[in-house]
Amino acid sequence: MIRSLLIYIAVLFVGILFFISMILFVIPALQESTLVLPSLSKAQADAEGAETQKVKLEKEITTLQTKLDKYTPSNAYIIINTTDNHFYLYKGKNLIREGICSTGKNERLVQSDGEKEFVFHTPLGVHRVLRKQPNPVWAKPDWAFIEDGLPIPPRGHPSRFESGTLGAYKLELGDGYMIHGTIYKRFMGLNVTHGCVRMGDEDLEIVYKTMEVGSKVYIY
Amino acid sequence: MKENSTEDFDSLFVKKYKGLKIFVIIFSAILITFISVYTFLSVGAVRDRMKLAQTQAEATEPVSSSLIDLMKEKAWIESRVKMASGDSIGLSIDLGEQILQLELKGVVVMSTKIREYSASGFFKRMDGNVYFSMFGTPLTIQKFESSIEKNPFKVVIAPKNEAEAEAASAKKDSIRDENVFWTVKFDREFELNIQGIDSISESQSKYRLGKGFEFKRDLKNIYNSFKHIVQFRKPTYTPEILIAIPENEAKAILRALPRNASVTIRI
Repeated sequence: MIRSLLIYIAVLFVGILFFISMILFVIPALQESTLVLPSLSKAQADAEGAETQKVKLEKEITTLQTKLDKYTPSNAYIIINTTDNHFYLYKGKNLIREGICSTGKNERLVQSDGEKEFVFHTPLGVHRVLRKQPNPVWAKPDWAFIEDGLPIPPRGHPSRFESGTLGAYKLELGDGYMIHGTIYKRFMGLNVTHGCVRMGDEDLEIVYKTMEVGSKVYIY
Repeated sequence: MKENSTEDFDSLFVKKYKGLKIFVIIFSAILITFISVYTFLSVGAVRDRMKLAQTQAEATEPVSSSLIDLMKEKAWIESRVKMASGDSIGLSIDLGEQILQLELKGVVVMSTKIREYSASGFFKRMDGNVYFSMFGTPLTIQKFESSIEKNPFKVVIAPKNEAEAEAASAKKDSIRDENVFWTVKFDREFELNIQGIDSISESQSKYRLGKGFEFKRDLKNIYNSFKHIVQFRKPTYTPEILIAIPENEAKAILRALPRNASVTIRI
């Protein structure tokens, strides 16, 4: 009798296992199996003039490929990956240099009284180098003081200007965003900036010398 | 006396477990019936989806089999040219070459080798017309879901003084501990699933064990199918493509793609 009970329980257990495996694995596999699916492939005979069509298609493909290739700048351009904090400097199809950089920390800074709000994010998309400058002086914006818990000085006040913070060069991208150097070398490769792209000294020098005003900056 | 008590016990046992026997039989019958209906309706849903795709493609001109590869090549480049004319970042996926690319204004800003991929049987049964109605022009993402936050943004209250400011320090964004999996649904009723993996064995264990996000997603799909089937309605079938790429790159693409980005696929 105990044997019969065990058999019933075993049957129940196997039944439940069977049910679960059918639902989780067998039926989905069956749905994806080409064996149970009707074929959509109708063997179509070659239409008349297939050879002419082939030549036409090949010509169209070449034209389209040329059009697509033209989108890649022939002069220098830089690609910046804001997730990995990595940059790739190209000239045409040739990679000239790659390395680490630092990009925006993706942060919204709210002043403790809630009066002002600042967003620190590197803008994605295509930008251009608008201006290049060696030995830049950093004109500190309001957020630099707010972030340090300091009172905001008036515009033009000497405490707003700092030499050396931006490294040896800067390349302006517009709206206050730049590619520049840094004194905070230990943060290279991290998302720590206020939206600008920071680079190491050697990388920055090569980028500065290779990129021209008007060169494209692709940020993703 | 002893013999009688054994007989009593046996008859009591037989009565008590006769009910269990009937229960087991009925339960098994219900399971088998349900499984049969489930299988029938689930496979029927795939067939319906295929018929729908064929109906949608009927308006297009017949595709000559000898020209199909050239036409696929043309559609692939043409779609990428169309994507390049927009300002947004787009994704191009070549399953034949096993390459996944992030493109911005026609420039490939990131290219990664696909480690592993699988596509629904639906895609293997497509004819030329269905192929071009699905992949002939760039697809548009309609829905985004991911196991990690797409655009993480911290809100920080500014320090009141220098002492508070000194306490704040930069921390590296963690990558290793996250299970990067994201899924998008296109305007042409199919899904693309991107899984971040750093080795094939990791991909298999993650997918088979159905950890976290994937497992919840699969359960949700099964629950939806159940809901349809108990009402004797065919469940919704959505063909899908599953692609495994390195984890960092899966994360970078997720962060870079706009919510309604264009995607070009070549199979």
